Amino acid sequence: MLFPTLDFGLFFLPVLLIVWTVGLASNEWRKIILLLASWVFYGFWDWRFVALLIASAAINWSCARAIQTRLDDGRSAQPWLGIGVAANLAILGFFKYFGFFLEQLAPILARAGWARDLPVLEIILPVGISFFTFQGMSYLIDIARRQTAPASFLDLTLLMSFFPHLVAGPIVRASHLVPQFKAVPRLTRGMVATALILICWGLFKKTVVASELATGLVDKTFFDPSAQTGLDLALGAYGYAVQIYCDFSAYSDMAVGLAALLGYRFPRNFDQPYRSASLQEFWRRWHISLSSWLRDYLYISLGGNRGGVWFICRNLMITMLLGGFWHGAKWTFLIWGALHGGVLAIERLWREWRPEGFPALPKPIAILIIFHIVVAGWIFFRADTLEGALAYFTQLWAFRPGLALASPLLCGMIVFGLAIHFTPPTLLPTMARRVAAWPAPVLGLAVGLAILLTDAMRFEGVAAFIYYQF
Amino acid sequence: MADQFDSPVDVEADEQGLSGLAQMAVAVGIAVFTLAMLNAHAFAAWADGLEPGARSARISAVAHGLADQTATRGLDGPRAALKQRWDRVKAARWPDLANGDRSQR
Repeated sequence: MLFPTLDFGLFFLPVLLIVWTVGLASNEWRKIILLLASWVFYGFWDWRFVALLIASAAINWSCARAIQTRLDDGRSAQPWLGIGVAANLAILGFFKYFGFFLEQLAPILARAGWARDLPVLEIILPVGISFFTFQGMSYLIDIARRQTAPASFLDLTLLMSFFPHLVAGPIVRASHLVPQFKAVPRLTRGMVATALILICWGLFKKTVVASELATGLVDKTFFDPSAQTGLDLALGAYGYAVQIYCDFSAYSDMAVGLAALLGYRFPRNFDQPYRSASLQEFWRRWHISLSSWLRDYLYISLGGNRGGVWFICRNLMITMLLGGFWHGAKWTFLIWGALHGGVLAIERLWREWRPEGFPALPKPIAILIIFHIVVAGWIFFRADTLEGALAYFTQLWAFRPGLALASPLLCGMIVFGLAIHFTPPTLLPTMARRVAAWPAPVLGLAVGLAILLTDAMRFEGVAAFIYYQF
Repeated sequence: MADQFDSPVDVEADEQGLSGLAQMAVAVGIAVFTLAMLNAHAFAAWADGLEPGARSARISAVAHGLADQTATRGLDGPRAALKQRWDRVKAARWPDLANGDRSQR
């Protein structure tokens, strides 16, 4: 069930009604209703995986209790933390990486003369597994670090299953959401206005901009780069940069908006990433919940900024390689991670060894360079295979003249998708404050007309969000 | 730059008038009504996609009834006009390519 569909609308409206009628009388019932609704939402993909979700919550809940008991007794939490993290990684590893490792193993065994028919398992990837397993791990680590207290089984299961963030984030941490579950939520006019703006804006970005760019330009250029002109390939790469931003940030916007209508505050996941003047800044603005997760639970665990500059570079490289691998078991994701890790390391070395008085790059030029490094990374990220990515670069370099695919509308969308990164950061709160003052019927009419306009412009059908596959 | 736990919905606004909950209830209700009147065909198209059966036949009948009623009153006009204009924008091509297309034909 995708957010920008009537199916979802017909699911969400009754949930909203029940939650705000029954839920006002009892917060526990409110949470139970939200949990059941989340399982129905998840069950739309595959009912079997609801059991996996519950099992995952039960494992994390049990490990958290065991960790807390050991901490209370003054003993080390490491054994249970290790078991809990390993259990989460085992779930993720089996569903996401088993096939990849088997594929890599077969030729190695064959070369060693042990050619065997390895078991072929058609493993279906449960939607959102990378998100809820990361959430489970951060919960256990936070408890072991005494940064959060163990949650009740209901709160933890709801935290991991809560439908607005379940399949594509943001990765909401227990320390942020569980305290909200404990209190009876209160809606303010500011929250309502912002939520409705975010939902309409997300709908537009996903169904109009991302879908149009994907079908009109990006899918075609990446399908067969050798058949395209140089300008189309360049615009295809820029188009993918805009598509993935509009697709993923649209999901986050709608997730934040839907959660807000239910009374909960999710953190910001995107903050105009293409206006970054360094790659470090880019990662503070792009998929903030994942980059902060990688920083807090992986980079810092590896030693973080302690030690010498080469040690820091090693940690950056490992973190970004694993960040790439988190996206999927493909060499293209690993190269994408390596590119980001390498550039982050170079930035770090430059900061360390930059000659005194050496002039800094003007900010617009720095933004332009970082944007093109990010776009180069997106080519690896988007290509189906490593050969496909290399073919894309080769054809781009050859730059065959002409322009066949990119229509004025698609070019306009690329410009639009980049221009929105340079609007004032206070635009949303300013708009929300104004909209919050509108009478409710005017607000409702405006929302209805905004959705109507988006529906008239939208591409036929809705493709799944890019981050559903992760 | 935003703090990692900042929420975009933390907006301090004038809270006078209806409460947030009442504001949401009325706004969502009006938005749904607006869409039901101006975009009823989307509901009918959705109903057509349901698994065939007695219940889906009833839903489809209601959806098509609403779509016919709103179309009779011309309420589907704004969406159709918007779509027509948007399709013209989509069909536009760069001038030299349009000439190229014609010469190819």
